[in-house]
Amino acid sequence: MSTYLIRRVIQMIVVLFFSSMASYALLNLAPGGPLTGLRQQTDPRKRITAEDVARIRAYFELDLYLPFRYSRWLIGQPTGPLTIGGQQYFSSLIVGCRQPIEKTFELPNGKFETRTTGCQQYVTLKSLIGRRSSRGILLGDFGNSWGILRDRPVSTVLLSRLPSTLKLMVTSSLLALLIGIPIGIYSAVRQYSAFDYTFTTAAFVGSSMPTFFFGIIMILIFAVGFKGLGWFYLPPGNAMSVRDYAIPGLGTVQAKSVLDQFLHWIMPAAVLTMFGVASWSRFIRSSMLEVMRQDYVRTARAKGLLERVVILRHALRNALIPFVTIVVFELPGIFGGAIITETIFNWPGMGRLYFDALGRNDYPVAMAFLIIVAVLTVIATLLRDILYTVADPRIRLS
Amino acid sequence: MTATANTKVVEILGAEPMPEEQSQLQIVTRRFMRHRLAVFSLAMIVGIFLVAIFVKQLTPILPSDIEVNNPYAAPFSVSAATGLKHWLGTDQLGRDYWTRILYAARVSLTVAVTCTLASSIIGIIVGAVAGYYGGAIDALLSRFLEFLLTIPQLPLLLILSAILLQSPDILPIPRVVIKVMGSIMLIPDSQAFQAVVIISVLVAFGWLTVAQLMRGMVLSLREQQFVEASRAMGANDAYIIFRHMVPNSMAPIIVSASLALGGFIILEAALSFLGFGIQDPTPTWGNMLAATQSYMFEHPWLPLIPGTPIFICSLAFNFVGDGLRDALDPRLKL
Repeated sequence: MSTYLIRRVIQMIVVLFFSSMASYALLNLAPGGPLTGLRQQTDPRKRITAEDVARIRAYFELDLYLPFRYSRWLIGQPTGPLTIGGQQYFSSLIVGCRQPIEKTFELPNGKFETRTTGCQQYVTLKSLIGRRSSRGILLGDFGNSWGILRDRPVSTVLLSRLPSTLKLMVTSSLLALLIGIPIGIYSAVRQYSAFDYTFTTAAFVGSSMPTFFFGIIMILIFAVGFKGLGWFYLPPGNAMSVRDYAIPGLGTVQAKSVLDQFLHWIMPAAVLTMFGVASWSRFIRSSMLEVMRQDYVRTARAKGLLERVVILRHALRNALIPFVTIVVFELPGIFGGAIITETIFNWPGMGRLYFDALGRNDYPVAMAFLIIVAVLTVIATLLRDILYTVADPRIRLS
Repeated sequence: MTATANTKVVEILGAEPMPEEQSQLQIVTRRFMRHRLAVFSLAMIVGIFLVAIFVKQLTPILPSDIEVNNPYAAPFSVSAATGLKHWLGTDQLGRDYWTRILYAARVSLTVAVTCTLASSIIGIIVGAVAGYYGGAIDALLSRFLEFLLTIPQLPLLLILSAILLQSPDILPIPRVVIKVMGSIMLIPDSQAFQAVVIISVLVAFGWLTVAQLMRGMVLSLREQQFVEASRAMGANDAYIIFRHMVPNSMAPIIVSASLALGGFIILEAALSFLGFGIQDPTPTWGNMLAATQSYMFEHPWLPLIPGTPIFICSLAFNFVGDGLRDALDPRLKL
């Protein structure tokens, strides 16, 4: 089993490596970077010189060749020549081009195109000494934000959103599991009953409902509708209010109090929980149905065990094995799974941060989000493999 | 033996009549008809498709006709300027909602159908080749499939469409494709480009599920004896794959395709709702829903107009997919 796990770990490292290359490629393709618009000034007083362009390119490390740029982004090296025992090696290795020679051609259709045809000033390893360097993605240094918090570290931005994300996602995932599993079990045990039929239809309808529509309907009913009718209503946005407000039935709610935060939390959590319940309970139901047809359940009943013991101790345990392997993938979902819900309810979480970052072309933040989600997915997959071998002894011993 | 020859033989010999031969299509249809909800949903889908095809006959107004003096008209009101009835009222620019819903149906359905077809074709080819040849390619591909399928897909879709919509030169799309899609969806070429980009982005992640399904089916079919027999008779790999494996794997692919149709409608609506999909003035249910969000508090019924078709389509395609799954192979576990 350990060889299997080691093999999986190595495969996952390869997958992560390729995903980091894909992310870096996306980051490079991204429009709206630091150089956009700089060259398009036609006013002679504001036009920037070639030296300025070279300086800005050097600042954003755009003058280095792609492999070196990528490795500096990933691990922070190379920061200079290889120094072993005081001796510098590879000082004159060319790693980039500070000032490329650009020629403007006229294309047959009348448009002009500027192409790089060579280099008039190269960058060597030696000149990398003294450049600002990051510790690299692997050590958590994601660079600086381009837009959301200009020139502040991306990790600051991400960490500032982490508490609200956890507050919403962890609670709704737990609630979905706590509500969904018993409903699924009861529905499987009482198959073909009225409860089962109602529940399966409700779960089916619930999982076909688009999240954004359901969120908007909830706002319409609980915030707009109830408020218009003068009833108790739920405040429809953000995680907490700025000023005190009054709710019929509860009196005045202090801003930023626990009650205030709770009221704001109810609707987004309800949307997320409902979807979680719809999918988990269906899964548990089908898993339980499959398990309960097995011979060992019949044996357990024939032994005279209480029905409750048969279901909870024998059937459920086996039904949970595939379930656990699916639940693990809540881990990346906690971090990045609720973009739409957070956007509708204006909840200040990671999902909405990603959405804002994309809207403002703040690609370092977006990239950091994607990389963290990818890493969490890989960890969740590994966890799933480990749990699968732990939960099912047949796999462990085969 | 035909039925008449059969009964003649039976009459002569005096034996029990054999049951009527039924083609597989008849068997599947009969099993499908047992699910009344699925049949009803299928009828509704056909109705929606007909509505989308005959939009021009159903409404004389164009989706881009602006009546600046008539924003948020009430439903069933008659416009003072043109004398035409606005069945569902108008939006903030005075454009008729009924017309926009119909044209949006056309756009959304075209996007969904195109995405499903394209991703099915790509997924079938990749999955079949990977499953058939096995080895290192298969191992690498299945690792990546697993990874890409378990990662939350919405963030990736968002960033891809954000990049591709802003820099049109990255993805070389032939003008012919844009023109054809534009004429199918009844939108001008400048906006058809957005639609084609969104289709590409959705297909880029849509083929993964089909490929995984196909690979699974091919892996199990590869060991069957008819493959060995085919090879013994001199069939080459391509023949075996496309003539034997693909037709035998169609059952889960068809079910997955019908579920995917509903999924693509929702995904496209989600992308447009967030602003990273097809944008104004092209009507699509998602961006109409986003536009109503700002005016939701004064006119609460507005979001229901574009939102309900999304929900109904998704529900209908899910019911049909469920019914097909039971009809095609009740033992199927998808």
